[in-house]
Order: sequence, then C-alpha cells, then structure tokens
Amino acid sequence: MSTTTINITSEQIADAILEPVLHPKPAIEVDNVTVSFKTSKGFYTAVKDISLTVKKGEIVALIGHSGCGKSTLMGTISGMVKPTQGAVTANAETVTGPGPDRGIVFQNYSLLPWLTVYRNIYEAVDSAIKNKSAAEKRELVEANLKMVKLWEHKDKLPGHLSGGMKQRVAIARAFAINPSILLLDEPFGALDALTKSNMHVELLKLWNLDNRNKTIVMVTHDIEEAIFLSDRVVVMNNGPAATIKEIVEVTLPRPRNKKDIVHDEQYMKIHDKLLNLLIDKFSIDDI
Amino acid sequence: MKDITLNKIIWPTVYFITGMAILGGLWHLVSLLTGNQVPSPIATWNVFKEVLQNPWQNDPDYKGIGTKLLSSLGRVGIGFGLGSLVAIPLGFVMGSNKILMNIFNPMVQILRPVSPLAWFPLGLAIFQNSPEASIFMIFICSLWPTLINTSFGVASIPQDHKNVGKAFGFSTWKYITKIMVPFSMPHIITGLRLSIGVAWMVIVAGEMLSGGIGLGYFVWEEGFNGGSIEKILVAIIIIGVVGLLLDKIFTVLQKRFTYAI
Repeated sequence: MSTTTINITSEQIADAILEPVLHPKPAIEVDNVTVSFKTSKGFYTAVKDISLTVKKGEIVALIGHSGCGKSTLMGTISGMVKPTQGAVTANAETVTGPGPDRGIVFQNYSLLPWLTVYRNIYEAVDSAIKNKSAAEKRELVEANLKMVKLWEHKDKLPGHLSGGMKQRVAIARAFAINPSILLLDEPFGALDALTKSNMHVELLKLWNLDNRNKTIVMVTHDIEEAIFLSDRVVVMNNGPAATIKEIVEVTLPRPRNKKDIVHDEQYMKIHDKLLNLLIDKFSIDDI
Repeated sequence: MKDITLNKIIWPTVYFITGMAILGGLWHLVSLLTGNQVPSPIATWNVFKEVLQNPWQNDPDYKGIGTKLLSSLGRVGIGFGLGSLVAIPLGFVMGSNKILMNIFNPMVQILRPVSPLAWFPLGLAIFQNSPEASIFMIFICSLWPTLINTSFGVASIPQDHKNVGKAFGFSTWKYITKIMVPFSMPHIITGLRLSIGVAWMVIVAGEMLSGGIGLGYFVWEEGFNGGSIEKILVAIIIIGVVGLLLDKIFTVLQKRFTYAI
C-alpha cells in the first residue's frame, strides 16, 4: 500500500487565496446573447449579440426607449427568458433558470393577492433561505418591512395597497432573501418623486451596509435615477434586434448627495451625454 | 349609512316580495283557468301546513317531510362529496399538465353530456341496490362541472404568479398551497356550485326511479300515485327553496375566496 502525498507549497496556497481577490470572477457575464420570440408573424428578435460584463459589487443601469429589449435582457440574467443564442453566467454558473441567488423586483409588483404583505415576504424568505430558523426568518421579514416603512401595513392584502406601496413590498421581498445579485425591473417607476428619492437612498444604504458586495442591475427610464445610483449606464438602441449603443461610466465619487450632485459639473456632462444618446434616436424617428 | 341599508336590505326584499307576488298571482290564475285541476296557492298552503306537521317523525310506517329531505340531502352530500374528492385533484392534474389535459379532455367531453339518469341502471347493475345506485348517479354527474372548472382555473394561473414561485425557489408543495390552490379557488367553487345544482336536480329524478325515502319518492308516491297534486306542488316548493339555499352557500364562499389584485 503506497500512500500518495500531496505537496502544496505555501505559494500555491497564497495564489489560491489571492486569485479571487486579484482577478475576481465577474458577477454577471452576458456572452453574445440573442433573444428571438416566435410570434404569429414569424420570429421577432428582441435583442441581438449582446455582451456585457458586470463586476461584483457594481451597480449597472440599463436605459433605453420603451420596447428596446431592456426587460428582455434583464430576463436572460434572471433566468426567466432563455437566450436563443449565447449564454449568461451569474456567480460563475450558467443561468438555466431563476434562482434565489438573484433577487428580482418585477415591473408589475407580482405580489400574491391572497397573501398578506407579511406572508408575501415570509413565503419568499422561507423558500429562498434554507439555513435559518423560523424566528430568524421572521426577523428578516420584520426588518425589511420596516426598511420600506410598511410594518404597520403588514396584515393588509395587496389589493388594499396603493401602487407605490405594492412596489415597496416587492422591493422588501427581493431584499429579504439577501441575494448576491439584485435585478430591478423599473423598480421605482410607480413611486411618487419623494418616495422614489427615499428609496434610492435606502437602496444605496443597503448596498453600503453589505460592504458594497451586492451586484445590482436595474432597468429604468429615468436618467437622473440611473446616474445617481449606478457605476455604469448601458444605453440601448431601439428594437427590434436591439444592441448596446454605448456604455457610459459614471465617475462621480461615492457617497453621492442627491441635492449637491445635480450642480456637479461632471454630473451635468454625463446627464447631457445620456440625454443626447437617447434624444438623438428620438429625432431620427420623428423625421 | 342609511343609504347602504336601503340599497342592501330594503330594495332586494321589495324586489323579492314583488317577484313572489307575481308568481303567486300567475299560479292563482292558472288554478282558476284549469278549474282547480291545478290547486290554488291557498289550497296548497293548507296541505303544506299539514305536511309540515311532525317533520322529523321517523317511524317504519311513516316518515316526516324533514326526514325525507335529510335522506335526499344525505345522498346528495355523499355523491357530491365523493365526486368532488375525485374531481378537484384530477382537475389540478389536468390543469397543470398539457399532455394529461389532452388525454383526459376527450373523455370528459364524451361523458359529460350523458344524462345522469342513464347512469342509474349502470349503478343498479354494479351495486345491486337502489340507494347506492342513486349515490353513484350523483357522484358521476357532479364530477364534470367541478373537474372542468378546476382544470380551467389551474391552467389559467398568470405567468406573473408562476414567476414569483420560480424566482424565490418555491417547493412544489409551496407552489401548490400558496399559488395554485388559492388562485384556482374561485374557479373550484364555481364548479362545486354548478355540481351541487346538478346533483340536487338529479336526486329527485333518481329517487322517483329508486323509491325508498326521499323527496323524489314523496313526489311520485304520495303526490302522483296518492292523487294529491297539492303534495307535488309542496315538494316542488321545498326542492326549489333548498336548491336556492345550497346555491347561496357557494355564492358566499365564492365571494370569500375572490381577491383583488
């Protein structure tokens, strides 16, 4: 009987530890993705040949006109939409379907109308988080409901809430499962300006609390929102067969202050650039 | 507040009484035109009071009307209960699986239009016993509306709700209990409501064929054979009112399980 000895040098150990730090795997890799749908009039290509890499801890906004395939692209990351060509990798695994490592805030809230606000979140937490006791899960629900300031409405059914409140429940639900990737499909679209502002700050607070480890991808129409929140803004061309038009880096230092930032020269430059990228397309369509 | 009581209680009562008065008037008119071949409401009322005496009497030689009613309701309950126990789970399976839907649907479509009475002789041949044959008949005819409505409900669960289950990794059990059943509940209750309606209609016909204790047999034996048309009319009223109450129970349940989005 011979015993095999495995020799591991200290350099190898150091490499193994340092490798993920020096060359971290991207949180999301969209590799040459095309999505076509079968319709009554034949195939409709929503997005075409899209490649996008999102680093861990990065906040990326997808912006573009209605129907440009932003939500479709988002769907391929969440796993709700299967790419016709290409593949998406999230947390170093090929996306084959939705999973609790990617929390989703749906555009249309998607709350279950027969469950109270509390149960809507609890059932999601209960399913997505396996290694916690019932008491810990209840604490998570409570903390997240308080975060979106809906604790006193916890026993209401979604049918008795306003659109903005429903959206906040959906946000609390996505946060409660503590996913490493958050996918937000126009999450603040239904909110009034004041609530929206508060939610922006809350979102960044949460992201900070978690040492900026969460990767966030959001679809939005709102240029100000995109700049305030994100590290990069992905501007998409109009569909069909939408592609990425340009990726704009938001170099503004963090923490960003909502009131001061609008007077910042850099902010105004980025704002103008994004506006031009979007409006330019508009005027061509108009003529 | 005053308006609410007026709209919710007073007006419906006024409408109900008006409707009943018109029905009574027409009945009286028919009675006059047929020269009392069809007994008048008043003559029927007198027999009604007579029939209602000792309703719970349960002697071997005489059964009160209440005992007969309970006997009919019992058979409906057993047949309808068994039918629902089969139809609801089968509806879940059919609704959630396209292939099984395609396999089962033609069977359902062929068996559904068959008159419930046609199943009675088959039940008699199987069970060699007429009360059980009645229950079998109720069982068969209360399957279809529940089965069809349940499977339709499950098949129409919106993609949004399914996506919630997928996104948060709901187990199959959680999907069934938190999404599938609550969503299809109003459809299931509609099915049950239609089923109990059919079952209640069919039991009278079944009991005419099978004899024994029950409202159907009362109509046939004491009403027609006993030459008392008043008793036939009394039975019709009781059958109608009980049928309405059964329907109301399910209407209330239906409201209870319908949710605003």
